[in-house]
Amino acid sequence: MLRRNWVTFLVPLVLLLGVALIPYIWILLASFKERVDLITPDPKWVFEPTVVNYVEIFGRGFDVFLLNSIIIGFSSTALTVIVGTMAAYGFSRFKIPAGNHLFFLILATRLGPPVAYALPMYLVFDAFGLVNSHFAVILAHATFNLVLVVWMMRSFFNDVPREIEEAAYLDGCGHFRVFWRFAIPMTYPGLVAVMIFVFIFSWNELLFALILSGGETRTLPVMIPSLVLHTGTLWGQVAAASIIQSIPVLIFIFFIQKKLVQGLTFGAVKG
Amino acid sequence: MSNGASSGGVLADSASTRTFLWVCMGPVLVFLLIVAIAPMTLAIVDSLRELSLTSLTKRGQFIGLDNYRDLIATDSKFYAAIAHTAIFMAVVVPVEFVLGLMIALWLNREFAGRRLVLTIIMIPTMIAPVVVGMIWRFFLMPSFGVLTVYLNRIGLFEDTSVFSGPVTAFGALMIIDIWEWTPFIMLIMLAGLSAVPRAPIEAATLDGASRWQILRHIELPMLVPLIIIALMLRAIDASKIFDTIHVLTGGGPGNATEVIATFAYRTNFLTWNLGYGAAVCLVLAFASLVMAALFYKIVSGKAPTQEAA
Repeated sequence: MLRRNWVTFLVPLVLLLGVALIPYIWILLASFKERVDLITPDPKWVFEPTVVNYVEIFGRGFDVFLLNSIIIGFSSTALTVIVGTMAAYGFSRFKIPAGNHLFFLILATRLGPPVAYALPMYLVFDAFGLVNSHFAVILAHATFNLVLVVWMMRSFFNDVPREIEEAAYLDGCGHFRVFWRFAIPMTYPGLVAVMIFVFIFSWNELLFALILSGGETRTLPVMIPSLVLHTGTLWGQVAAASIIQSIPVLIFIFFIQKKLVQGLTFGAVKG
Repeated sequence: MSNGASSGGVLADSASTRTFLWVCMGPVLVFLLIVAIAPMTLAIVDSLRELSLTSLTKRGQFIGLDNYRDLIATDSKFYAAIAHTAIFMAVVVPVEFVLGLMIALWLNREFAGRRLVLTIIMIPTMIAPVVVGMIWRFFLMPSFGVLTVYLNRIGLFEDTSVFSGPVTAFGALMIIDIWEWTPFIMLIMLAGLSAVPRAPIEAATLDGASRWQILRHIELPMLVPLIIIALMLRAIDASKIFDTIHVLTGGGPGNATEVIATFAYRTNFLTWNLGYGAAVCLVLAFASLVMAALFYKIVSGKAPTQEAA
């Protein structure tokens, strides 16, 4: 009986994992294939592996785009987390005049189609000569991630009992010291998860980067489709770049799994 | 949403509290001014002008509401994009919901390697959408794509590629979206199911309730708030779909897979019709404000119970 239960569980499980994983596995295999093994009417599941694709993408400026993605990811994460956490603490601890409207405005920046906000941003950045700069993309990514930080951190701060902070305050700690020495350490695990989320969303983002970056400031998600050339697609390089781009994401989802559902729903669902 | 702040007590009004409040809220106010208020203002001004970077005659003359009138009264491509988006949402969101719920119901148990299994299942949702697009482009490449090859062997798409027919292209985009986002629904449902108390289910089982009855009368009612959130988030995201379509069809063949986001992108950044494009963006932004208001109302409607705990 127990054995049969295992079979009826394992068979669909393997099928499910196959559906989720095979397209990804196929691109992983492709990244280690020579051109003759890539473009063939007879799909090769077994072949002689090569790292030539991983070497060649660096000849196409992959290192520059990788660095851009890292710079933009870290900078926009730092900016969003600092601005968003302060605001979240304010929302959690104090009565903010017109707070509801502000809260709603922050939400609205994320729920609309990014392209509707990308053009207005393009107009502003263009006016200041900032198009094709890291700065433009950093600001844009920080904008659509702000709601995530504010909503999640606010819910974490709400979970921290106020009494400790009030006692510290009565002992003569200033507000900022209370925030820094008590509120932040108590929400630290959540804060780390939020940072990881913000980083991944920036790391994966295409539209803003496509519009606001260019030439030497392009990010990986902009670079990968640019390998589709008029003369044919460099599939080996697309595969190699896609694999490298997705590795940090896979590592992160394994480690922040408990917070995954919370991050994907702006903190509306607790895992 | 009530922010649950204490209006009395030691954290109440004082000079230092007010200063600190500015420290907290000042940065976000400046930030929103730069990234939201200023851009929107500029977009409103431009939407009232005849402005195109590719035309010598459209240099920014003010034309009042003509852009809006043209868009709303005469632009059939705009309405086609809205219709495509609506059809897309109407298909993928319910399918993803049913599949996601079924998988969640079935995975809602303890087993060895659960964490690894969930990580693998979440891959389609978590990797970059542009990578999803490229993976499937590779998968479905004419003649050489592995899926195309196997489809050919069973006699499908032998003379034509998936993305060259309007219906098959749209269908493929839907299937890809379902592949990408079903895990997202599953994860939310799984979180909800694991919070359903065991006692009523065990009691119902003892009373001879069937699996379906338990689902229908115990689990689903408890999941309702989460289902609403999951469906809304999914609907909002599906309405914004851009990356995969940009990579896979670019809105084609013809404009068969043109959705709102690709339409707005094309108007602004391929044809550089910025005045008209600004009007498109503002109409979309306004529509999304209405959606956001709805979402906000529903989410904060359930917030007090969550915060009371």
